[in-house]
Amino acid sequence: MAVTTPPLGAGAGSASSRRFVGLVPWRNIDVGLVGALASIEGIGLLMVYAATRTKLQQQGLDPRFYLKRQLIFLALGAMLVVVTTVVDYRRWRDLAPVVYAGMCALLLLVVSPVGAKSKGHQAWFQLGSSFQLQPSEISKICLVLCLAAFASWSGRSGDRDESLGIGKLATLICLAGFPMALIMLQPDLGTDLVFASILFAVLVVGGAKGRHLMLLLVIGVVAVVAVLQVGVLKTYQVNRLTAFLDPAGDTRNVGYNLNESKITIGSGGLLGKGLFQGTQTNLSYVPEQHTDFVFTAVGEQLGFAGSALLLMLFGLLVWRVWRAAMLARDRAGTLICIGVLGLIVFQVFENVGMTMGIMPIAGIPLPFVSYGGSAILAYSVGIGLVLNVHMRRFS
Amino acid sequence: MNVDSLRFRMTAIGVVVMCLFGALFARLWYLQVLQSNQFRVAAQQNGIRLVYSAAPRGRILDRKGRVIVDNRQVNVVTVDRLVAKKQPVLVNRVAALLGEHPEQVKLAIGDPRFSDLAPVPIAPADGDVITFVKEHAADFPGVDVEQQVVRTYPYGSLAAHLLGYVGEINDNELAVRKSEGYHLGDGIGKSGVELAYEPALRGEPGVTKLEVDSKGKVLGTLERLAPVQGHDLRLTIDLDTQILAEDSLAKGLAAARGQYDKQTGNSYSAPAGAVVIQDPRDGSVLGLASQPTYDPSQFVNGIPTDLFAQLTDPASNQPLTDRATSGLYAPGSTFKLVTATAALDRGLVTPGTPYYDKGYIQIGPQKFKNDGGNAYGTINLQRAITVSSDSYFYSLGAEFWQNGRSLAIQDTARLYGFGARTGIPIGGEQAGRVPDPTTRRKEYEQNPRAFVTNQWFTGDNVNLAIGQGDLVVTPLQLSNAYATFANGGTLYQPRVAVDTENQDGSKVADIPARAIRQVPLAPGDRAAMLAGFSGVVQDGDGTAHGAFAGFPFNQLSVAGKTGTAQVNGKEPTSVFVSWGPSNTPQYEVTVFEEQAGYGASASAPVARRILDGLTGKATPAPVYIPNAAVN
Repeated sequence: MAVTTPPLGAGAGSASSRRFVGLVPWRNIDVGLVGALASIEGIGLLMVYAATRTKLQQQGLDPRFYLKRQLIFLALGAMLVVVTTVVDYRRWRDLAPVVYAGMCALLLLVVSPVGAKSKGHQAWFQLGSSFQLQPSEISKICLVLCLAAFASWSGRSGDRDESLGIGKLATLICLAGFPMALIMLQPDLGTDLVFASILFAVLVVGGAKGRHLMLLLVIGVVAVVAVLQVGVLKTYQVNRLTAFLDPAGDTRNVGYNLNESKITIGSGGLLGKGLFQGTQTNLSYVPEQHTDFVFTAVGEQLGFAGSALLLMLFGLLVWRVWRAAMLARDRAGTLICIGVLGLIVFQVFENVGMTMGIMPIAGIPLPFVSYGGSAILAYSVGIGLVLNVHMRRFS
Repeated sequence: MNVDSLRFRMTAIGVVVMCLFGALFARLWYLQVLQSNQFRVAAQQNGIRLVYSAAPRGRILDRKGRVIVDNRQVNVVTVDRLVAKKQPVLVNRVAALLGEHPEQVKLAIGDPRFSDLAPVPIAPADGDVITFVKEHAADFPGVDVEQQVVRTYPYGSLAAHLLGYVGEINDNELAVRKSEGYHLGDGIGKSGVELAYEPALRGEPGVTKLEVDSKGKVLGTLERLAPVQGHDLRLTIDLDTQILAEDSLAKGLAAARGQYDKQTGNSYSAPAGAVVIQDPRDGSVLGLASQPTYDPSQFVNGIPTDLFAQLTDPASNQPLTDRATSGLYAPGSTFKLVTATAALDRGLVTPGTPYYDKGYIQIGPQKFKNDGGNAYGTINLQRAITVSSDSYFYSLGAEFWQNGRSLAIQDTARLYGFGARTGIPIGGEQAGRVPDPTTRRKEYEQNPRAFVTNQWFTGDNVNLAIGQGDLVVTPLQLSNAYATFANGGTLYQPRVAVDTENQDGSKVADIPARAIRQVPLAPGDRAAMLAGFSGVVQDGDGTAHGAFAGFPFNQLSVAGKTGTAQVNGKEPTSVFVSWGPSNTPQYEVTVFEEQAGYGASASAPVARRILDGLTGKATPAPVYIPNAAVN
């Protein structure tokens, strides 16, 4: 593995080739990462269509309604990847304070009367008649940028082995803590857990001391239990989160999602029932199947083979992000990548895990697969940043 | 490696990520490969719902094809449960419409026996209600009128015990019959032929296979099978004969009631009785009556608990009990058929063996007397039957036991079918009891207080010989035994149905007669006995001669036997058995009347009236003959 300091390109190659590489960073685009992303998005698009077509048809609507919208989101996402990549990530890094302020403003606004309420969450802005903006999704990627920027701020440029002192650690925690508190007002425990994962990944790689990390973990667990107990969440939300511990307990209500989700995935078997052949999918047995439970559509129609392929594509994607973190030329680049890695890994594990009954049910989308504009746009920015870091590792 | 190095930290992150993905793969393998079959079954069951609709039951016909039990359509108001859930005000409107309490309507709508997918029946409705619903359809969304098929009985309580009734399937029945496709809420034969021929009468329920989504919304019909009505069942019962039997029994009991018994100083209460009319040629039951009776239409739409309790209450003489098949009585002198057969068959006597009847016999210290103390002088078997000499048969009973401990009477009784169920297909039949040393010992062991001893004595055999003691039989058993003698010795399983048919009258399947065994009896012996039985009704000193005064024996030569069974603490049971024509029998008529006195007084006139009717004669009510001081 090419993991050295200074970066690989610095020592190897002639001056002219270095300049050439540096001037044309597009030559260093990570094709593997882009390929994995495109494949995942392709599968996702198909699954969103499969999960929605029959229901739409029954309602006399265009069966391609969600397909078309998702296609638009993906196209916009691709454009955002390009836009994010064009500008050097260090410029983005320098914008961090603005980004942070904007993020907090959005999160404040959404819990104000300006925000829209749906299914018990105050988490959307209604844009026009048919678009909702979900600031919590956007804030995830904002957080990645801000934490990476602040953690690398005063460090000697390029020293990626720097450790985090207690003061800086506390500041980072506070930086993440404020938006997390705002998100708790929605309330949305899932997004807070994503925030926590991003923060934790940045702290680990950013050089926090082992004992500090341990303490943080303990505090985190206590905080989650406290949130469940204290009554910040509504009863149904707590039930939903704890249902996976006893799925047989209540199959008609809370356990219903989980039970049907497992039946849908399990009935797919080794090779699946075939595209558009899933009875559970076609008969709408899984609620929220095009969004949070989209993995069940994969499991039923494509079977173990297809599900494993999708997970392997995520594995490939994560490996490329991890590799970009290793190769990054500076601390900010590494931490940006690792923040994105924390985001994606946690969301994949939580989302896929909840559909299979090994994680609590939380409203977290499967990146690039679940239907939803805000999430796709936000994560596209994240991938754009990773590509940006990767291709500018020499310049 | 330096724990603070980036490389170490990145490796740690990488390991965590791999563990997380490994967990996902493991779980995926578990669900989709190891447990897949289980989930596949669950998924299949998810999308399909079956809705059943009951099939009309087959009708029940008499032997000539006249309909005794029919179906009738009733209009029932139904409510769509899902609509009612959305519009709670509907409950109050429907309640007001039907004149019921809203809570009751709510309960009916929520009745778990019915599926969400079909309208739930609430209550029967008359024409006005139907019109109102149709005219105000907008106010009654989801409310409709559906036709249901229920049993109807054109002849009321006629043959109620034989026909039985239909009720809703209960948990026990469902557990037993689940594999036959029964469901909660289905009707099922509960007793009588409704139960015995349930598989033929039931028909095939209609099935609609619906595809439903997760909310239970019906997406489409995959398959629809219309219900198929059950087969009609043609009974061996003749409607006219059945009416005659029930009418004669009811009138006979009425005639006996209030009569004064000089010997005991009591009035006869005659609370209950039974009549069996069979065709001796194949065991077919032509009429089967049991008093008191009930109206099976009370069971349509479910019988109220208090009414059911009343029908099974001993204080009201348990009208639900079919006394013809499950009433247990001592047969009295009618049992002499068995004693005579045993004695002749074993060579204990011949028809000509003379016997001097001095009015009693002495067994040790005990004196066994003829009824009324009559002494008949020198008699043979034929005459012993005609005048019903107890002494003659006492002596046979004594001789059997004293000369070699013979159980010939018991053995012959069992050959004639006593002590075992006859096998009539309708349920609830009793086996009766033929006592012998073994049963005595067993009963003593089970209940030592009820019996003086566990030994069998000569006196027991003497009592048995004239149909008393621990012997009990059902009216049907006695009828079947006499039918066996009358037809020349073939014991049949009583038959209640001729065949099953389609509604157009075409035959589906025969229900054949079934011979069980031959009862051996030499022709000469049989002739002597038959002469004795003929004398009972036709000779001047026959015990039933009075009851048959003026009977056209040239049209129908009748033979018979009276019986008066003593019952501890009660008035005697009046028994009469008869058949005709005596040598080529077509009818066998058996009458039992509880606490009604002599067989010749109460039951013989009832049998006579029935035989009158069978020959086409006018039938005035049977007259009680109080002076028949013979048994």
